[in-house]
Order: sequence, then structure tokens, then C-alpha cells
Amino acid sequence: MMSGEVSKVVILGGGTAGWLTACVLAARRPSLGITLVEAPDIPTIGVGEGTWPTMRQTLATIGIAEPEFLRECDASFKQGSRFDGWATGLADDSYLHPFTPPPAGDMAALIAAWREASPDSAFDAAMTAQAALCARDLAPRQRSMPEYNGAVNYAYHLDAGKFAALLMRHALSRLGVQHELAHVVDVKRTGDGDIAALVTRDGEEVPGDFFIDCSGQAARLIGQELGAEWVDRSDVSFNDRALAVQVPVMPGSPVASQTVGTAHEAGWLWDIGLSARRGIGCVYSSRFMDQTDAEQVLRRYVAANVPGADVETLAPRLLQFATGHRAQFWHRNCLAIGLSAGFIEPLEASAIVLIELSGRALTENFPASRAAMDIHARRFNALFRYRWDRIVEFLKLHYVLSSRDEPYWRAQRDPATIPPRLAEQLQLWRDQPPSNWDFPQVDEVFPAASQQYVLYGMGFPVPRGAAEHADAPSLARLREVREQARGMAAALPTNRAYFDNLAATASNQQPTTASA
Amino acid sequence: MTDHRILNSEEHRDLRVHTEASAELGDAVMACLTVPDEFRSVQTCFPIVFRRELESDNFSALAMFGFTNGENLFLSDGKWDAPYKPLAQSIQPFLVGQPADGQGQSQVHIDMEHPRVSKSGEGVRVFDEDGQPTPYLEKIAADLGALDAGYRASGAFFDALKRHELLEPFTLEVSLKDGSKHSLVGFHIINEDRLRALDGEALGELHAAGHLMPIFMSLASLSHFAELIRRTNDRLALG
Repeated sequence: MMSGEVSKVVILGGGTAGWLTACVLAARRPSLGITLVEAPDIPTIGVGEGTWPTMRQTLATIGIAEPEFLRECDASFKQGSRFDGWATGLADDSYLHPFTPPPAGDMAALIAAWREASPDSAFDAAMTAQAALCARDLAPRQRSMPEYNGAVNYAYHLDAGKFAALLMRHALSRLGVQHELAHVVDVKRTGDGDIAALVTRDGEEVPGDFFIDCSGQAARLIGQELGAEWVDRSDVSFNDRALAVQVPVMPGSPVASQTVGTAHEAGWLWDIGLSARRGIGCVYSSRFMDQTDAEQVLRRYVAANVPGADVETLAPRLLQFATGHRAQFWHRNCLAIGLSAGFIEPLEASAIVLIELSGRALTENFPASRAAMDIHARRFNALFRYRWDRIVEFLKLHYVLSSRDEPYWRAQRDPATIPPRLAEQLQLWRDQPPSNWDFPQVDEVFPAASQQYVLYGMGFPVPRGAAEHADAPSLARLREVREQARGMAAALPTNRAYFDNLAATASNQQPTTASA
Repeated sequence: MTDHRILNSEEHRDLRVHTEASAELGDAVMACLTVPDEFRSVQTCFPIVFRRELESDNFSALAMFGFTNGENLFLSDGKWDAPYKPLAQSIQPFLVGQPADGQGQSQVHIDMEHPRVSKSGEGVRVFDEDGQPTPYLEKIAADLGALDAGYRASGAFFDALKRHELLEPFTLEVSLKDGSKHSLVGFHIINEDRLRALDGEALGELHAAGHLMPIFMSLASLSHFAELIRRTNDRLALG
């Protein structure tokens, strides 16, 4: 076994993580035999309802057509995240972290041009046309464009349960993945400690050369069986509870172009618009708020923001979570992907993208033999530890720049809770804007552009001296942004029109499809 | 059926127009009007020929897209398959209107019964939510202005062609791969021999009036008939 060929992969768990990993691996490594084992009666958590733009490439790679994906998953377009009430909590406190980066070029010069040419404009609106689209609930693309292409960068909001179901159908019918519905009651190990097989309740063994743990918070293989250490990050990231509801919306109502995150006294609320419902959740820290108060915050938000919602009948679902991740995601012949690898509050929708990034790292560095496996594991662990550290820091950035005065928000700014690297960068950013020098990796999870949108969206002072050299090229780039915004705002349909027409086209075409 | 209205930012605030190319949207035509000012752009893709209007005895110029009625060889899979789309085609569903008294500035009119007028919420807005023209309307207005000015100027061009007897009837017989034949009749082109025979004074006069350039542009454009034949044969091959 030590130098054995790796040809049989077993995935444990059938949520978004399991089926997405199965699809990516099967599509890109078709010679592998892949079996997905899941218990027939374990519900999936299904909170990850926002993706990143990477999902377009992922779906194209897997071989799912975009209109099919949009319809099957009740998906809508996500062009970024809007943060309301985070900086001051006042009525006009709102900024956007859009997916389209600022124009290329020296950020200090662009900032100077922004200050000089449109000082009344928000940073996001000055730097990208996407802000104008989000402000008008417009779609990022026209239906006549080639699939997975848009006028601006975009991702999706989706129904996570339907997404996992679509991926499962696709994996089984098109990609040759095997499916075992069984409870795993035991794990068989080899003499040197690798996992040899999963043992089901019926006594059946599912053997494999490589095991992927997508068993969620249970972490059946990486945690329970292999004992990979858990790194707790709740000292930095306080939130540990969420109350989630789904609220139907009225036909014809606008569909938002972005996730809206609204700060409250001890956490924040997410608001994700699909065409028929909105997913709304109250994230909070149990140290600073109890469940009754959190439920009040949630109901008040729904009453104020969802026209026609019946607030009395809402039955919020409580989710409890530990913030942290494995010290080693890949241990021996087992890789953890999804909640088994780690979890942090969904403030920047990092859950699904981490599944994609893990799947990509694995398929592009698949261990052909057991001999090479420990080398791959070491590299994977170093890369994903780097990524987790950056995610923890970037989410913290949203809190440390706030001037809100509640105890929760003051505690968020306690220097003892701020990671040293973030503290250092905040010092640097007083003199220079975030740049690739701060985020030198090729595939940074949150590149300099993301940091800039949050930093200047939150009202962080622009670097001293930056306002002194607004050069002609930078002024021209921002003028181009304004022209693009005018053109795109005129040319793109509303999300509502896009999805209503998409649904109408589908029902018109159904007879044709059936007879073909 | 048509329903011409004067475009205005109150009535048409939320109006959207389909700008894609397709037969349903009115692009399945074998030719469209062009004007001498536009020949430079048109001759990059399409043959330019002339037609005598039966009622008025006036000539007009046409950009040719096909050989039979309703056939546009530059329309494929819902795309305009050429680098240029002539003004008279690209301005639809808008048109140049004259004020009721016939005096003063031309206006932008729109045919509200045109299939390009959107009823689905998709398409390009003409005015933004504040009633300001969008970049699309700015472009349409500029194109309409160019077409209108070009059309007004074309009378002098055709008068000059007639004066120098530079127009000759044109018939094109096209033999296709499958043995079938198409013929184009009833059009005119520049008589090349007559053009060659013009003396310096006549050439100087045509040049001074700006007619010489479009004359040569239209002559050069005729080589695109080979491209139209190629496209027709390709379609036959596809069955």
C-alpha cells in the first residue's frame, strides 16, 4: 500500500461539499473510481446560500448549463455584499463590496482622482460601474450573452438544498459517481494507520485509496477517527449563533443584486434575495445577546424590510457553530472539505468557495501514488492554513473599523482580539492603500481590491499625501467608470425581469424538450 | 401596422428597446437604404447599388444583404454577422420625424408597434430613471441626425450622376453550387466606362462637390457580391 496507486476515492457525506467535490473530481479526473457514501436520513445544514464568481467556472467545468442551474436551484445573481450600519450605525451608513475590482493602476492615484473629481461619490460607486447596477436591482448580464459571461463580475445566491440535489443528479447520471446510502458505524485502518475502508451498519465495507471527509460538523473521519486538532478562532471571531428564516416575497417584487448584511447591536443580519423568497438570518454572539433578543432583532428586520411578510408565523431555526478549523485539513489519506475542515460566520460567504478551492487544489495536485501523498498533504495544509488566516483577518477588518458604541462592538475593537498581522497592516494602510505587496499570493481569497472596498467603504482615512497627485490617466479611468455605469444601467434588465422571462421561456420550451 | 410617436422622456421614461439582431426583430431584409455619406462604412461589408423610385423618378442607394426578398445573408443564429450595420437598420425602431408644420428641427420619432419595442422588461433603456437620455439614445440621435443629413445631401449626388450619365442598369445572374440560379434585376450601378471618359473639368466639379469619393466607394463595394454568393452557397451546403 505504501507506494500503491491511488485510483479509488471515497467521499463521506452528501451535502454541498460532498456532491460538489464529487462533481469536480469526476469531471477533471475521469479515470478515478469515486463512491459517495451518505446516511439516508441526515439533513444537510444548507446555510451557504451565497457563492463567489468562481462558481461560474466550476459549473462550466462540471458541465452544467447556466440556465439549467439558475432554474433548478432557484438561483439569483450576486454582485457583491452591501454592508448597512457597520461604520456608524446611522441612517446613511452603507457601503458595497462589489465583485468587480477598481480600474487597473496605482490605487493612490485613483484615490486622488476620486477625491478630486467626485468627492461626493462613495468609493464603490467611483471605482466600479457595478455599484450603479446594484443600486437599481439590475442583472449582471443579458439573456442573449453567452452563458457564464456578464457585463460585470458576478456570482449566485441559491437554494442550497436544491443545489446539492442538482449536483447529485449530475454526478450520478453524467459523471459516473457511485452512490451508497448507508450509515457508517466503523472505520477500518491499515497497519500503518491509513484509512482502509468505511464499515456500514449492514457490515458492508467500502474500501478506498483516498478518503474525503464531507461529513460536516461531525468530522467523522478527520476529527473522530484521525483526531486532527481543531484550531479555535472564536477569540477573534465572536459570533456563534444564527437564527434563520425563509420569507416568501410577493410576485413582481424587486430581487436584490447583492447580499445585504445589516449590523445590529451584537452581530448582523444577512438578507439573500431569490426570486420567490428571501433567506434572512440573525447572526449574533451568545456572549452579548440571548436568543429572545436575537429573535426580536430578526422579526423587527423582517417587518421593516419585507413588504407583506407575516412576521407572526415566522419560525426561525437556530444554528449553533464553533468558529475555527483543523490544524491539518489533510491527514494521512484523508482530506477534509466543507464544515469538517472548518467554519466561520458567513459574512463574506466563504463556505462554498472554500469547497471549490479545496476541490481545485486537490484535482490539480491529485496524489497519483501513496508515496507522493504526504508531500501533497503538507503543501495543501500550508496553503489552506494561509487562506484561513487571511479569511479570519478579513472578516475581522469589518469590525475593527467600526465606531459603533455597543459593548459587542467595543469588544470587537479590543487590540487583544486583533490578529497581529491585521494590526500591522492597518498601521501600513495609514500611509499607503492595500496592494499586492500585502497580499502576494497568486490566488488570494481576498485580494487588495476587497480590502480597499471595505477599508474606504468604512470611512478609513485615505493615505496622507494620496490626495495630492490626481494624474490624468487616473481621472480618465474614473470617467470611463462613470460612462460604463450609464451604459450598463441602460442596457441591463432588472433581476426580476430576467428571472420571470427565464421561467416563462422554460415553460414555453417544455413541450419541445419533451418531444426531442 | 405602425404607430409613430414623438419620443419624449415622460411618456417613454421606462421604454426599453431590443437591440439584438434577429428575423423576428425585423432584420430579415435583403437590403436597406444607405446614403453617400455612409458609403465609406457600408463598402467595407456590403455591395452598394442604386434603385430608381417608380413614383418620383428619384434614385436612392441600397446596401445589399441578400438576393431574394426576406433573405439576409448577414443574419445568422440571431447575430449580425458583419463588422458594420448600416444606419437605416441600426436606428430601428426610431425614425426621423418632421414637425407637423414642416418647419424647424427634425425630431426623434418611434414606431411603438415595431417588434423592437420591448414588452418584457429586457432590452436597452432610452431614458434613465431621471428622464435623461441614455448613451444608447445619444447614439441613436447621432445616427438619426447623420442619416437625415445624408439623405438631404443625396439629392445633389444623384443629380450629378444623372447629369454626367454615370448610371447604368445592372443585372446580376448568380449560378449556385446546386445548379439553381438567382438573378438581380431592376438596379443601377456606376457606369465605369463613362466614369473613365470624364474630362478633368467634370472630375474637378464632382470632386469639389464631394461626389467623387462615394462614386469610387460604390464601385469598389461591388466586389462584395462574391461574398454574398459564397454565403448563399454555404447555406445550401448546410441544407
